Amino acid sequence: MKSIILSMVLLSPFASAVECKADNQYLQASYKVSEQTSQKLPKNEQSFTLWRTPRQVAQQSEQLVELWRQLSNQQIRPIRYFTQAKRGIEYQPSEVKGSQDFSSKYQLVSDQLLAKMQLQSEQGEGCDKKQRYYLKQADTVIEVVWLSNQQLVESMQVNTANYSRITSLQSVSFNKQTVLEQFANWDKYQTTDYADIGDNESDPFLAKMINLGFVEHGATGFYDTNGKALKSNHHHH
Amino acid sequence: MKINKIATAIGFTLVLSAAANAGVLPQSQTQSQWYESAQTTLATKQSQAQEEQLTKAKNVILFVGDGMGVSTLTAARILAGQRDGQLGEEGLLSFEAFPYSAQVKTYNVDAQTPDSAGTMTAMASGVKTDVGVIGVNENIQRGDCSTVFGNELITTTELAEIKGLATGVISTARITHATPAATYAKSADRNWEDVSDMPEGAVTAGCEDIASQLVNFEKNLEARFLGTDVDGIDVVMGGGRRHFLPKDATFNSADAMSEVEGDRTDERDLTAEWQANYPDGQYVMDKAGFEAISADTKQVLALFNESHMQYEADRENDIAGEPSLSEMTEKAINILDNNEKGFFLTVESGRIDHAHHAGNAYNALNDTIEFAKAVQAAVDNTNPEETLILVTADHSHVFTIAGYPKRGNPILGKVVAVGKEDPSLAADGMPYTTVGYANGLGFRDLGDETNADAAYLEGPNVGRHDLTTIDTTRAGFHQEATVPLGSETHAGEDITLHAKGPGAQLAQGVVEQNVVFHLVNQALELIKQ
Repeated sequence: MKSIILSMVLLSPFASAVECKADNQYLQASYKVSEQTSQKLPKNEQSFTLWRTPRQVAQQSEQLVELWRQLSNQQIRPIRYFTQAKRGIEYQPSEVKGSQDFSSKYQLVSDQLLAKMQLQSEQGEGCDKKQRYYLKQADTVIEVVWLSNQQLVESMQVNTANYSRITSLQSVSFNKQTVLEQFANWDKYQTTDYADIGDNESDPFLAKMINLGFVEHGATGFYDTNGKALKSNHHHH
Repeated sequence: MKINKIATAIGFTLVLSAAANAGVLPQSQTQSQWYESAQTTLATKQSQAQEEQLTKAKNVILFVGDGMGVSTLTAARILAGQRDGQLGEEGLLSFEAFPYSAQVKTYNVDAQTPDSAGTMTAMASGVKTDVGVIGVNENIQRGDCSTVFGNELITTTELAEIKGLATGVISTARITHATPAATYAKSADRNWEDVSDMPEGAVTAGCEDIASQLVNFEKNLEARFLGTDVDGIDVVMGGGRRHFLPKDATFNSADAMSEVEGDRTDERDLTAEWQANYPDGQYVMDKAGFEAISADTKQVLALFNESHMQYEADRENDIAGEPSLSEMTEKAINILDNNEKGFFLTVESGRIDHAHHAGNAYNALNDTIEFAKAVQAAVDNTNPEETLILVTADHSHVFTIAGYPKRGNPILGKVVAVGKEDPSLAADGMPYTTVGYANGLGFRDLGDETNADAAYLEGPNVGRHDLTTIDTTRAGFHQEATVPLGSETHAGEDITLHAKGPGAQLAQGVVEQNVVFHLVNQALELIKQ
């Protein structure tokens, strides 16, 4: 996409796939999400930033950060940070099938979904290698432009008869120090194990959790194996 | 003895009365299994009443099932029986067979429905206090460090230490969590588990975080009672490493879940400080380390998890491995009973409460069954004539057993009425489960998921759902709830106290929760010293 400003000065188009992956382990990528539920309604636009280290990935929207850490036993441990309150809620790793696919969080699109899609074209070399994928399932059409050696979605479009959603990469950088500082900054927030929330009704922040569930949510950027957007929660206000 | 004479007289009267009625009742009644087993129960009670009533114990073990209300006991005993191939309702959990029991009022000084901090403070110190505070009386202002000084309470663990007994505290929750903390700490807020959890003003005003108080227990107690010489808590086992380690990834343990496991912002490594205080003691953090602890070990600090230990059903998913509550209990007793003067041990099953908060009856009941096994391990490894065992809860939960299921119906299943094979249908045309919650997150079907906390990833989903094709007995099923809340809540009704051993006969009637301290104190004569 012409509008994309890729600050990939450190990434050589001549790099091998392995070198390219090694060079972009620490990543900050900005995405725009444009959603339309009806032709008569205006588009709903949101943005979020994807942050990655080798074993962590975070999706940051205006007030909410959702972070996943891959443990040594391959389980995924989620944390939600609420940036305005500077507080975090820690969740336990889950064994629920489907929620253990780290690739769906790390890449925004899972390896499983890509494997199901049809490769339509391929161009470029090294870090610039770009693949176009297509999948039609019932009335849903999914198109992905995939920077394969960077494990990064350049764009993803999901269309049904009454719904369209386009997620597009706006900028990306690979400054390790900036990325580590951002994760360290969130790590400074006071966190609470969700298992303890029920015992903390006098804490105003946690009381809000008890009484209302999650009142904020981010621009969902993750997709399951069927290309369905994974909601950050089901309780919107 | 006067008591013996009275008991004999009562027994004689009952025998006469039974003889007088024997001819009146038809054989079909007197030869009924129910009639005969009740007669056996009565004879056992009469025999107990005539036995010499010991009141002083060498050892006391206090078991606390966090959130283990009466409905939890009933459902857990049915589930345990059904797992053994029985109908279920007729059985007893190990401690329900104890000879004495009482009904306990749990409210806090400022709360109708209590929390673990206030309730365990009452049990540990003999004084009811406010919700949310640890080891301090009701004059405290929660969260205000300056109100701690002068309002501290002395606990059974501290008094036992001063008396020269061996002491221990075990929990499947973080060892700095409210229930275990109330045995050794004084804090204006239950959440001050480490220094990073405290407001800066509280730290500069001289309040000490709970983890630090655990490691400095010996020093602090000796400072509070000048001239005393104690040797510190002998056995400490639980979760909560995060509160003992500095916020530095180089201190991470093998099964750290966070990028940086430790939370402490004062750069202190309390595990190293503890080891320096007790060079002969053993610090362990996994199952292998636990198994290597021998019975002649002098002191143990075991921190098996970054936060809470796993649910019993989920233990095999722990990266480094964890012991069960019954294994920890047996190990602790084998170490503590080396002290010839005796010991005082507190054992908490902390995750019954957490499973209920998550609206997951399976894990609440499964952990209750493991708790009963731990009590049995204590019974099997102690002398009944010298050990008082008390088993209780801190509070209840809004967990109900409802509908009209037939006898032997799976307790985690859907209601099937007497004489029927198919589930009963509610007015909405859909089946419903026997157990459920009055509030909380509500329905989830997470299949074989054994971690109840997995439910928290989504918001409340209360009300009715079509359960027709769902197996509600699986570990990952979360029961329906009525009032939508992000976490199911405690309940305010009474809980139970079960007692066995010297002084157990004093556990009777309806009592305030702070009476538990006085039962322990009476048996061990702690404040006579």
